[in-house]
Amino acid sequence: MHKNLKFEIVRGAASILLALAVAMIFIFIISDVPFEALYNLIIGPFTKLRYLWIILERMIPIIFTGLGVCVMFQANQFNLAGEGTLFFGGLVAAAVAIYLPMPPVLHVIVAIVIASVVAAATMLIPALLKTKLGASEMVSSLMLNYILLQLGVYILNWHMADRTQGATMSHQFLDTARIPILVQRSNLSWGIVIALIMTVLVYLFMYRTKWGYAIRMVGQNQSFAKYSGIKVAATIILCQVIGGLLSGMGGAVEILGYFDRFKWRQLPGYGWDGVTIAILAKNNPLFIPLAAFFMSYLKQGCNLMQLNTDVPAEMLSIIQAVIFLFFAAEQFLSKYRQKLVVKSAKEEIAEKKAAGEQKGAEA
Amino acid sequence: MLQSIIGIIFSEAFVFSIFRITTPILFAALAAVVADRAGVTNIGLEGIMMISALTGVIFSAWTQSAWIGLLCAILLGMLTALMIGFFALKLKTDIILAGIAVNMLGNGGTVFFMYLASGDRGYSANLASKVMPTVNIPVLQDIPVLGGILSGHNILTYLAFIFVALVWVLLYKTPMGLQIRAVGESPNAADSVGVSVNRIKYIALGISGALAGMGGAFMSMGYMSSFNTNMTAGRGFIALAAEAMGRGEPIGTMLTSLLFGFADALANNMQSLGLPQELVAMTPYVFTVVGLAVYAASTLKKSRKKLE
Repeated sequence: MHKNLKFEIVRGAASILLALAVAMIFIFIISDVPFEALYNLIIGPFTKLRYLWIILERMIPIIFTGLGVCVMFQANQFNLAGEGTLFFGGLVAAAVAIYLPMPPVLHVIVAIVIASVVAAATMLIPALLKTKLGASEMVSSLMLNYILLQLGVYILNWHMADRTQGATMSHQFLDTARIPILVQRSNLSWGIVIALIMTVLVYLFMYRTKWGYAIRMVGQNQSFAKYSGIKVAATIILCQVIGGLLSGMGGAVEILGYFDRFKWRQLPGYGWDGVTIAILAKNNPLFIPLAAFFMSYLKQGCNLMQLNTDVPAEMLSIIQAVIFLFFAAEQFLSKYRQKLVVKSAKEEIAEKKAAGEQKGAEA
Repeated sequence: MLQSIIGIIFSEAFVFSIFRITTPILFAALAAVVADRAGVTNIGLEGIMMISALTGVIFSAWTQSAWIGLLCAILLGMLTALMIGFFALKLKTDIILAGIAVNMLGNGGTVFFMYLASGDRGYSANLASKVMPTVNIPVLQDIPVLGGILSGHNILTYLAFIFVALVWVLLYKTPMGLQIRAVGESPNAADSVGVSVNRIKYIALGISGALAGMGGAFMSMGYMSSFNTNMTAGRGFIALAAEAMGRGEPIGTMLTSLLFGFADALANNMQSLGLPQELVAMTPYVFTVVGLAVYAASTLKKSRKKLE
C-alpha cells in the first residue's frame, strides 16, 4: 500500500513539475522579464504574511465545491453543477441576509442552512432525471449551471437590486448575517474554519457511515452494489443532493464572509476549481484542503505575476489544465510503477530466500 | 401576445434566424455524432469551439484572409481533439476529465492568448479580423419568401448542412464509416477482425475536432465579427444534448439541432415583447433539459416494451 502511495506522490510531483515547465516555456517566450515573472509566480506568494491570508481566504469556496465533487465522483456521477449551485446558494444566502432580520450567529446559521437546502434541492433535477429516466446527469447538470445563473441574475436585477448603486448589486446585508473576520486587517473569515470542519464531517460520512459506504460501492461496482442489497438509485440521488448541499453552502459562506452585498453576475468559476482539486486529492476529502491550498497558492502567484510583470494571470488556466490532465492520467509514468513493483517483488523473494536459508542453517 | 408570437414565427426574418442560430450547434452536434459513434465521448466540444473561435480571429487578422483563419481554426480544433485522444487513449485519463481540461483551456486559455495577441481581455476589439462571406444563391434568391429564408446565409451555414450529408455518407457508405461504427458498437469484435481500435478512435476524434472547429470559427467569423470571452455560452454542451436526442444519427441530430435553433430564435424574439432578458436567455437551457428528459423517457418506454 505504502509503495502505491509513494508512486502517487512521485507522479503528482512529476505532473506539477511538468505543468511548471510548460508555464516556464510560455513565460520565456512572451515575457521581457522572464525571471521576475517566475519569481513572482513561485516565490511571490510566500514573501508576505498578507499573501498567506489571501491564499487561505481563496481556499474557502473551492474546499466546499471540491468536497461536493469528491462525493459525487466517488459514486461515478459526473455531475458538474457545482458551479451553478454555488452561485445560487450565494444568492439565497444573500436574500436571507437582507430580508430576514434575526439575532446574530443564528442569522448566519439560518442563511447557510437555507442556502444549502435550496441548492441541494436543485440537484434533484439531474439526479431524478438520471435515476427515473436514465438521462445523462452530465449534460443536464451543465444545463442546470446556465439555468441557475440566468435565474439568479433575473432575481438580482428585478427583485433584489439596490437602485441607488451605480452597478447592479443587492442591498447591503444586515450586520448580523455577516461571518466575522478571523484575522484582523485581512479578509480571512471564520469561513475557513467552517470549511475545515466540513472536510472532517464529509470524510467521516464517506468512510464511517453506511451511506458513505453505499456511495463508494456504487462507484466501484454498480452491479455488485445492487446485488449486495444497496439501493443504487437512492444512493445516486443522495450523492448528488449532498454535492449540491456542499457547493450551496460554499456559496453562502463565501458571500457572507467576503462580501457585504451580492454582486455576482457571472458564474465565479469555483465549481470547476472544485473539479480540479478533487482530481488532485484523488477524491479523498482529507486531501481537499491541501489541494485547495495548492490551487489557491498558484492563483495568488499568477495574480502577483500579472501585477508586477507583463504575463497575464490567465496563465493559471493553462497550468491548471496540464496538472489536471497528467494527474488524471492512469498510465502516466506507468513504466516507473512497473519498475517499483518488480523491484519490491524481487526484494520480497530475496527476503524469503534469505529467511529460508536461515531456517535451513538452523536446522 | 399570442398573436404577435405567431406573427413572429411565420415571418421570413425569424425562419432565416433559425438557420443562423442552428449553425454552430449543428457543427458541434455533428462533431459529437462522429466521436460518439466511435465510442468516445467528446465533452471538450465547448472548449474546442472557444479555441477555434479565437484562432480564426487571430489568424484572419494576421493574414487578412478569412479562409486562412478558417483553416487554422479547423486545424487547431483537430489538434485539440487529438490531444484529448492522446490523454484518453494513450495515458488512460478518463475521457470526460480530459474533456473538462480542454474546456478549462478554452475558458481561460483563450483569454490568455487573446491578451497576448491584442492586449484586450473582454473581446478582440483591436484585431482587424475577417468575416466569412455570405452567399446569395442565384434564381433562389428571387423567389419570394423562400429566397428570403434560404438565400443570403453565411457560407458556413450552408457548409454545416452539407456536412450533415457528408457525415451520413462517411458513416454509412464508406469503409472508414463501417470501421467507426464497428469500433463504437463493439471494440473487441472490431479488434478481433484486425481493426486498429485506437487508430479509428483517433481518426474519429480528429474529424470531430475539425467539425467543432468550424462551429467555433462561425461564432467569431460569422455569427459575430469578433471574439468575446465565453462567447460559445454552452453551445458545445447543448450540442451533446442534441446528439443524444438525435440518437447519434446525422439526420436526426440535424432535426434536434434545428429544434434548439428554433427555441433559441424564439427566445431572442420574446425579448422584443418585453419579457425579462434573463428569463429569455434561460429558455434554451430549460428546453434542453426538457428535451433530454422527453427523449430519455421515450427510449425507456421502448426498451421496456422490448423486454415485455
